[in-house]
Amino acid sequence: MHLKELNLVNYRNYVNLELSFSSNLIIFSGRNAQGKTNILESIFLLCTGRSHRTPRDSELVLWGEKKSMVRSLVEKKEGPSLIEIMLSLSNNKKIKINSSIAQRIGELMGHMNSVLFSPEDLKLVKGSPRERRRFMDIEISQVKPKYFYSLQQYNRLLNHRNNLLKEINQKSSLRKTLPVWDEQIAKVGSYVIMQRLEFINSIKKIAREIHDQISLGRESLEIRYNPSINFDSSDESGIMEEYLENLESNHEEDIKRGRTSKGCHRDDISIYINDMDARTFASQGQQRTTVLSLKLSEIEMMFRQTGEYPLLLLDDVMSELDKYRQAKLLSYFDKVQTFMTVTDYSELPKDMDSNMEIYEVFEGKVARV
Amino acid sequence: MNYYIEPIARLVNELSRLPGIGNKTAQRLAFHIINMPEEHVKSLAKAIDEVKGHIKYCNICGNISEEDTCLICKSPIRDQSTICVVEDIRDVMAMERTREYKGLYHVLKGTISPMDGIGPDDIRIKELLHRVQDDSIKEVIMATNPNIEGEATAVYISKLLKPMGIKTTRIAHGLPVGGDLEYADQVTISKALEGRREM
Repeated sequence: MHLKELNLVNYRNYVNLELSFSSNLIIFSGRNAQGKTNILESIFLLCTGRSHRTPRDSELVLWGEKKSMVRSLVEKKEGPSLIEIMLSLSNNKKIKINSSIAQRIGELMGHMNSVLFSPEDLKLVKGSPRERRRFMDIEISQVKPKYFYSLQQYNRLLNHRNNLLKEINQKSSLRKTLPVWDEQIAKVGSYVIMQRLEFINSIKKIAREIHDQISLGRESLEIRYNPSINFDSSDESGIMEEYLENLESNHEEDIKRGRTSKGCHRDDISIYINDMDARTFASQGQQRTTVLSLKLSEIEMMFRQTGEYPLLLLDDVMSELDKYRQAKLLSYFDKVQTFMTVTDYSELPKDMDSNMEIYEVFEGKVARV
Repeated sequence: MNYYIEPIARLVNELSRLPGIGNKTAQRLAFHIINMPEEHVKSLAKAIDEVKGHIKYCNICGNISEEDTCLICKSPIRDQSTICVVEDIRDVMAMERTREYKGLYHVLKGTISPMDGIGPDDIRIKELLHRVQDDSIKEVIMATNPNIEGEATAVYISKLLKPMGIKTTRIAHGLPVGGDLEYADQVTISKALEGRREM
């Protein structure tokens, strides 16, 4: 997958930015707060329909303006794709794929894929389970639109159920409607579990190999899916039954607490380095290596599932890595189009591909070096 | 809106409160009404005025009716053994347009939705249970919308009906008739795949 053109209008600190790319390595260099990450953010937005930094679209619109537009032209194996997203302060965002309007955000998934690596990703190892669920969800959604839709449904169902649990405290006769929500949650939830299980199973082998290379054989990385529901079955209908039992056996507690204590919304991934729990024991360096392994595995996974490499977005992470790990990351540039931000391009490794495009970013202006 | 004289401003304001009518359309309608012959305006006003007073809700199915019992419930040629459960009166109209369905209806006037604080006692489920006590009812068709709330309502009702020995069915959802597979979105196609049947 190759990003050919990017056009930002009234986006963040850009009034009108038009860029066209021809190489596989694109570097945005500049001091802090000049707008480097805004460019990567816009590419991520075009891939997933949302920013990785904020859930509020209004923050993406240039200050003082009402509307904003981002547009990209990507070249894929099957041909070019034109993606446009219109943001506005007053209305919901509008998405156009090859000039026809998309009815829901889910349709955007799969047209343009990317893997983003930013300093916040270091939270993946030591942060809350939410970070690790997000990692799975973004990844699976990009290749499976039904997964994205199921997650939306799951959240809505959960919201209904939690509201009901609170209402039962006041009016116990409502308890008879609880099984209805359990059933639907178990149905959607078991699908989500199956997809997560499949995802972890395929990524863990790749991650182990990559981590073995990066750590020069010194560390073994083990990733495990840690579902909140207890189950023994291996097929979706079996998991659904057990999901239902899990929900039913927690009815008393759920009603008392007024929320659902078990389910996909409490899943986690466990990460072990040399059989030690990385969440508690990993050093700073190990955390970085682990996140790098996971991100590189994501790239491989997407390639295996879609037959095409995604775009790689590196937000200020080169400085976080040592020379060896930088070189490892650099080895991907020949097959994966990479966009990265650095504070000073002269500090990049000297042996880097000479066929790269460097842009200097200064106060919302971008100039080719 | 001080550029309108008061009676027009009031009319525009009233019209724009109707669904699907914005300020501009309301203004167009208002000026059209001004230019209409007086008797037309009177009969329009009369029709609006009377509609509320002459409309009742059927005491059996909840459909709109001129009398206590609606024409469908009263009709001798309709199949008295089947009830189709819908969310809204407009869904009755939609089903009737098919001219295929010959049974009776039951309008719930809503769906179970804890997020909005609507429970089973807030919609017409009690009335439905009362109706099926009658032995002549053989089948209940759940035709609530295929969304989360509609599905939950259908499941809840079917759970109540099954122990009573009444056949409960759910309308199919999936691909629209006359549509192209290639234009359907992935979620609809996977739903259709789930609901496939043997030929």
